Amino acid sequence: MTRSDLAVSIAAMNKYYGNFHALKDIDLRVEPGEKVVVCGPSGSGKSTMIRCINRLEEHNSGLIEVLGIELNDDVGNIDEIRREVGMVFQHFNLFPHMTVLENCVLAPMLVRKTPRAQAEAAAMRYLEKVRIPEQAQKYPGQLSGGQQQRVAIARSLCMEPKVMLFDEPTSALDPEMISEVLDVMVSLASDGMTMICVTHEMGFARRVADRVIFMDRGEIVETADPETFFSAPKNERTRQFLSQVMGH
Amino acid sequence: MTDTSPKRTIANTPPGWFDNVRRRYFPTPIQSVISILGLGLLGWILWTLLNWAVFSAVWDGQASPETCRAAAGACWTVIAQRWRIILFGLYPFDQQWRSALACVVVVAMVVLSCVPAFWAGRRLAAVWVLGTGLFYLLMKGGLLGLPLIGEEKWGGLALTLFIFVATCLIGFPLSIVLALLRRSELPVISKGIGLFIDAVRSLPLLSILFAFAVVVPFMLPGWLQTGKLYRVICGAALFFAAYQAEIIRGGMQGVALGQDEAAKSLGIGYWHRISRIILPQAMRNALPATINQFVISFKETSLVIVVGFFEILASGNAAYGTGDWTFAYREVYAFIALIYFVFVFSLSRYGAYLERRMAVGTF
Amino acid sequence: MPGFLRNQKIRNILLQVLFVAAVLVIVVGGWRNAQQTLQAQHIVSGFGLLEKATGWDVNFSLLPHSASDPYWWFFLIGIVNTLFLGTLGLALATLIGGTIGIMRTVAHPVLNLLGRSYVDFFRNIPLILQVFFWYALVTHLPAPRNAIDFGPLTLSSRGLYMPALNVGGWYLAAAGLTLLLALVLPLWLARTRRISRPPEERRGLVRGVLAGGILAALVILLVGRDAAGPLISRPELQGLNIRGGLRIPPEFSAMLIAIGIYGGAYIAEIVRGGFKAVGRGQTEAAHALGLTPLQSFFRIRLPLALRAMLPILANQYIWLIKATTMGIAIGFTDFFMIVAVTINQSGQTIEAIAILMAGFLAINLTLAAIFNRINKAIALKGNQLRG
Repeated sequence: MTRSDLAVSIAAMNKYYGNFHALKDIDLRVEPGEKVVVCGPSGSGKSTMIRCINRLEEHNSGLIEVLGIELNDDVGNIDEIRREVGMVFQHFNLFPHMTVLENCVLAPMLVRKTPRAQAEAAAMRYLEKVRIPEQAQKYPGQLSGGQQQRVAIARSLCMEPKVMLFDEPTSALDPEMISEVLDVMVSLASDGMTMICVTHEMGFARRVADRVIFMDRGEIVETADPETFFSAPKNERTRQFLSQVMGH
Repeated sequence: MTDTSPKRTIANTPPGWFDNVRRRYFPTPIQSVISILGLGLLGWILWTLLNWAVFSAVWDGQASPETCRAAAGACWTVIAQRWRIILFGLYPFDQQWRSALACVVVVAMVVLSCVPAFWAGRRLAAVWVLGTGLFYLLMKGGLLGLPLIGEEKWGGLALTLFIFVATCLIGFPLSIVLALLRRSELPVISKGIGLFIDAVRSLPLLSILFAFAVVVPFMLPGWLQTGKLYRVICGAALFFAAYQAEIIRGGMQGVALGQDEAAKSLGIGYWHRISRIILPQAMRNALPATINQFVISFKETSLVIVVGFFEILASGNAAYGTGDWTFAYREVYAFIALIYFVFVFSLSRYGAYLERRMAVGTF
Repeated sequence: MPGFLRNQKIRNILLQVLFVAAVLVIVVGGWRNAQQTLQAQHIVSGFGLLEKATGWDVNFSLLPHSASDPYWWFFLIGIVNTLFLGTLGLALATLIGGTIGIMRTVAHPVLNLLGRSYVDFFRNIPLILQVFFWYALVTHLPAPRNAIDFGPLTLSSRGLYMPALNVGGWYLAAAGLTLLLALVLPLWLARTRRISRPPEERRGLVRGVLAGGILAALVILLVGRDAAGPLISRPELQGLNIRGGLRIPPEFSAMLIAIGIYGGAYIAEIVRGGFKAVGRGQTEAAHALGLTPLQSFFRIRLPLALRAMLPILANQYIWLIKATTMGIAIGFTDFFMIVAVTINQSGQTIEAIAILMAGFLAINLTLAAIFNRINKAIALKGNQLRG
C-alpha cells in the first residue's frame, strides 16, 4: 500500500512545549477502516498526538499526512483535512447557545454549503443513529452527559468525515452513561469508519480495536493487536500500566 | 434569630404583620433607636424635598419672577416658560415637533433593543441603523418637504440623544474590532492594540473630546475634514470602544477554549467561528457590564458642553442664566436631573434585572 | 490566491507588517498634515514654549505664581492642583462611600433603605450636572457684605475664608513639603528592612525624624513670616470684598463636593460588592468560633472584603482622578484647564495636548502601579477564596 492510500500517516513527528519534549519521534500508520486505540498514563502525550492530526496542536518536525494531504503551514490543506476529520472531545464542547439540531447543521451549512433542508434531514438521520432524534429541539444544557456526547458524535458525523478522532470520550461521564456512548462507537466501528481513539476503556479496546498503541512519556512504547496486547505485553512499562488499569 | 418566643414554636402560626414589623425594625434597643433616628432622617429629607418641590412651590406658569423669588418653595414657572429651550435648544420654534418626534424615535429604539426577541446581531443592527437614519432625517430635513436645519441649530435633549446614539453606533462595532485584534494570536497586533486601548482608557474623556475638537482638524487631510460635531462623536466613540472592548474581551475569556477547538475540528473558518460561536456567547457573558457601560456613556454625553455644544445641560444653563430667572438654578437643574434620572435609572434597573435572570439561568 | 499566501506563517508575518504599516501611515500622515497646517497658520511649534512666560495667571494655586512665570511652572501648578483636588476628593468619596457601603451591608432595613436611596439618587445623575448644581449653589450664597460666619470661618459667594499663616508662598510650600516628609519618612523607617537596628533604636530614630521635621517646618514658617503683619491673618471685610486669610474658591468647593458625593455613591456599591463577595461560610465559621459580631466584622469580614474590592476600587479612583478635569466647566484651574488656556493663548495645540496626555498617563500609571503593589502585598496566598 502506498503512503497516499493511508488514512493517517505520521512519520518522525516531534512536538515541544518550550523546552519540554512532549512527543518523541512518533511513527504511526492508520489504514482506511482501521480502528486504533491509544492508551497510556495521563501526561503521556496521547491526546497531544491525536490533536496534532487536525492541527489543534502544531507539530514541530516530522511529517503528517491525512488522506494523502500533507499537514503543513498551507491553510488550504489545514482546512481540507479538518473537513475530512471529525473529532469528539472529553468535554463534548457542544455549542450551548444553539439547539441540538442547530449544532448539527451549522458546519455542513457553513463549510459544505449544504442547503438547510438537506442538512437538517442528514442531521436527523445521524441523531437517529445515535438514538436521540427526540432531543433535536433541546439545548445542550438540558441533556445528560451521555446524551450530550452522543450529540457531539452526531455533530461530527454530519460533516461525513472519513476519519474520526476520539479524545477520551467517556472520561467525563458518570459510570452509568459510559455504555450508551460506547455502544454508539461500536456501531460506528462496525460501519467501517476509520477511528483513532484515546481511551481507558479496555473492554472497548478488546472488542473493537484492530490495534492497540501504548504511549508513555511522549513515546509509542508498544503496538500490538488487542489479543497480544492484553495477554502478552512485551514492555515492562506496558505491563505495569495494565496491572494498574485492570488490577481492580 | 435566637429569641424565638416559645409560644410561636408551640402554636406554629405564621407571625402577623405586627410581629414582622417588630422583628425587623425593633429587635433590640439599639436597633430600635437606629430605626427611629433613621426613619426620622428619611422623613425629614422627604418632607423638605416635597415641601420645596410641591407644597410651597409656585405652579402658576405666568407668575412674575418677583412673586417666584419671594416664594419659599420651587418656582416651576421658569420651566413652564423655558422648557422649549431646555428640550430643543435653538431649533426653529415651528419645527420643534420634529425634534420631539426624533427623541421618541430614540426612546423606541432603546426600548426595542431591550426586548430579547431582538437580540441577534442583524436585527439589532437593523433597528439601530434604521432608527438613527430616521432620527437624522427628522432632525436635519431637506427631504420630504421638511425644511433643512443644520446641525449647528440642534440642541437640548435631541442633541444629547443624537450624540449618545451616534457614539454607540460607531463605538460598538469598533469595540468588537478592537477586542478581536487584542485577542489576536499575532503578537505585534495584540500588543499594539493593547497599548492603544490602555492609553485611551487612562486619559480623561474630556481631553479626548477636546483633542478631537481642536487638534484632529490639524492632522486630517482636507478630504477627511468633517464638522466639529462628528469629530467629537468620533472621539466619544473611541473612548466608549476602548472600555467596551475590554468588556467584550472579558466575555470572550469566559467562553470555554473547547468551543473554538470544536468549531475548528468541524472545519469552520475564522470568521464563522467568531461570529457564530465565540461572539454570541461572549456577548451574553458581557451583557450586564455592557448595559452598565451604555449607562455611563449616556451620562458622559453631557461632557460635550465643555467643547461648546448646546446639549441639554448647556441649554439648561442658558434657560436660567439670562434675564430675570438667574435665581432659579435649582428648578432648572432639578428638571434636567429628572430627565437624566428617568433614562439612566430605568436602564440600570433593567441591567440589574437581566443580571438576576442570568444568575438563576432562566435565559 | 498565489501559493505563498496560503502559507500560514507567511500570512501571519504579512498581516503584522500590514498592521505596522497602517499605524505608521496614520501617525506620519497626521504629523505631516499638522506640520503643514501649522506652518500655513504661522504657528511656531516645538517645546520651546515651556520656557516662555505665560502672560496670564491662574485663580487657584497651591504654589506661588505670577503672569511672568514660564509655561512649565504653570503646567506644574496644574498638576499639583489636579492632584490636590483628586486626593481630597478621593478621601471624601472614600469616607462617604465606606459609610454608606457599610450601612448597606448591615442587616438593618432602615439603614439599608437610606443607603440605597443615596446611591440610587446620586449615581443616576451625571457628575457634570452635579458640578454645575453645587457651583450654582455656592456662588448664590450671600455676597461678602452679608457673609455667614461660623466662628473663625466666613462663607460667602466669593468662597470660604479661613484664618491663615501670614507667611510667604515659597516658605509655605517648603514648610508643607518638610511636614509631609516628616510624616511619611517615619512610616517608611518603621517598616523598611534596609536598616537593621534593634526595635528600640528604630523607634528612637522614627521619633527623632518626626520631631526634627516638625521643628524644621516651624522654623521655615518663622523665617518666612511677613514681618509687617501679624503671624495669623484673619479674613476681614474691606469695602465690598473680604481680605486676608486663606480663601477656598467656590470652584474648588463645588468640585470637591461633587466628586465626594458622586464618587461616594459608586464606592458605596463597590464596598457592598466586596462584602457580598465574602463567603457566608467565613462569617459562619467566625460565629461558630465564638467571635463577637464586632470581632467577626473587623477581623474576618472587613479584611476579606477589602481584598475583594481593591482592584475595582483602583479603577474607580482612576476614574475619579480623570473626572477632576470637569473643573474646566466651572473654571477651576486644574491641569486640563491650564492646557486648554495654553492652547487658546499660544496656538501650540499639539504640544499642549501631548503634555496633557503624558501628564495623565503618568498620574494614572503611578496610581495603577501603587494599587498593584498593595494588591500583591495583601493578596491571599494561593486560591483560598475560590469556590
